[in-house]
Amino acid sequence: MPQEVERYKKQTRILHWVHSGAFLTLFLTGLILFLPTPVSLLAVGSWTRLIHRIAAAVFIVAPAIYIPMNWKSTLHGIKEAFNWGADDIAWLQAAPRYYFLGDEKTMPPQPHMNTGQKMWWLMVIVFGVLFVITGVIMWAFKTTAPTALIQWSIFIHDIAFIATGAMLFVHIYLGVLHPLMVGAWGSMARGKVSAEYAKSHHGKWYEEIAKGKEAGK
Amino acid sequence: MALANDKAILYDSTLCTACRGCQAACKEWNEDDEGPGVKTENTGYYTNPPDLGPKTWLTMLFNEVETNGQVKWLFSRRSCMHCTDAGCVKVCPTHALYHHELGFVSYNKSVCTGCQYCVDACPFNVPRYTRNAATGIALMDKCTFCTTPGLNRVDEGWEPACVKACPPKALKYGNWGDMVAQGKSQVEFAKNRGHSDAYLYGETEVQGTHVLYVLDAAPEIYGLPSNPQVSAATIAWKDVIQPLGWTVGGLTILGLGLNYLVARANIIREKEKENAPRS
Repeated sequence: MPQEVERYKKQTRILHWVHSGAFLTLFLTGLILFLPTPVSLLAVGSWTRLIHRIAAAVFIVAPAIYIPMNWKSTLHGIKEAFNWGADDIAWLQAAPRYYFLGDEKTMPPQPHMNTGQKMWWLMVIVFGVLFVITGVIMWAFKTTAPTALIQWSIFIHDIAFIATGAMLFVHIYLGVLHPLMVGAWGSMARGKVSAEYAKSHHGKWYEEIAKGKEAGK
Repeated sequence: MALANDKAILYDSTLCTACRGCQAACKEWNEDDEGPGVKTENTGYYTNPPDLGPKTWLTMLFNEVETNGQVKWLFSRRSCMHCTDAGCVKVCPTHALYHHELGFVSYNKSVCTGCQYCVDACPFNVPRYTRNAATGIALMDKCTFCTTPGLNRVDEGWEPACVKACPPKALKYGNWGDMVAQGKSQVEFAKNRGHSDAYLYGETEVQGTHVLYVLDAAPEIYGLPSNPQVSAATIAWKDVIQPLGWTVGGLTILGLGLNYLVARANIIREKEKENAPRS
């Protein structure tokens, strides 16, 4: 059996799948309002809006349970999202050749999250918060908030929807379809990747955990 | 702009006696006179019901104004203005709100999703709805210009119920162009009768409303905005962000498809190289 390293612990994976289920539901029930008739008629009777609210509750409650149970990894994760440096610029420059042609020569070794993953993770945090704030305004203060506040909330909700929606396609594509990302699916499904994959895709991170293991001995 | 052959209602505040015949006729014809939320109560004001509602598409406002120590009633017919540049039509996701071929804003209740976008988009604060606060299940309602399916007067060639009922002919119905001309002549008539501030409201506002008003004081006194406009947020959302969203989404999917084809072809090529016999 090939050697494997743990990439995401169980609770983190559960949060990921619960949250992505909620997000996908929110995405589809929201998208309906922008599609042409007759597809948009699925929203008649407000049912998709009720489903949207149930999924929204899951979207808020899931991290609200996870965060107090996992203070350390939460803080670590947030730090990770906001930690940007020269390597990220090098990654962005090397990315087109890497993702299209499989050319790794100019790609700097990556830590636990590469620049692209970090970009998505940062978007999840920032737009997630915006989604929740504007969503709560529309849900709870529809009748009491000033009209302009409701209208600009819809506007910001929509910008977040477009940005995260487009990146969601990229995220699913890289996790499931891209020919080079063979370990990505396993990292979130089982929590583990092969040492080989960790070495080639997250060199810096692999070095750290290899050192940690030696130090632990 | 509204077209001369559109249909329109002309309301003259200086001829109105506030008998509320239009209000009663509207409820009666549109079957809004039964069921929950219909019963009125005395709140100490003549305006009753005090506001529009899902079952009150038209209500008479009794505006009490004091000038030079004299109290005056300035009546107003509060209902949908049937804008040409209609914010509600712009934001409605299912075309439940739409421009009738005769120019005014019809409403097909059976495809309303209850999103309430129209409520915030309306510069006249007209749409009303029933809504469950917890589930958010909602249904909007407003004046349909008497084109509600099954209760359609206008397509039969009849005037709307409110116009039909009006005893002093303060409400008139006809082609939009004719109503503008009629309104202007009624403004002159009103001025000759001492309503020196009379003017026509709705000819140019939001590209022409299909309910035109002869008024005798500033629009605000009648509960009307002096410069009604589709809000910047509506325009930014519908005319800028939404097309941008489709572009971003489309390009992303296109880019990913392209990436897949190139990356896969490349890997196959690499493998063939590896498997090729060494010479």
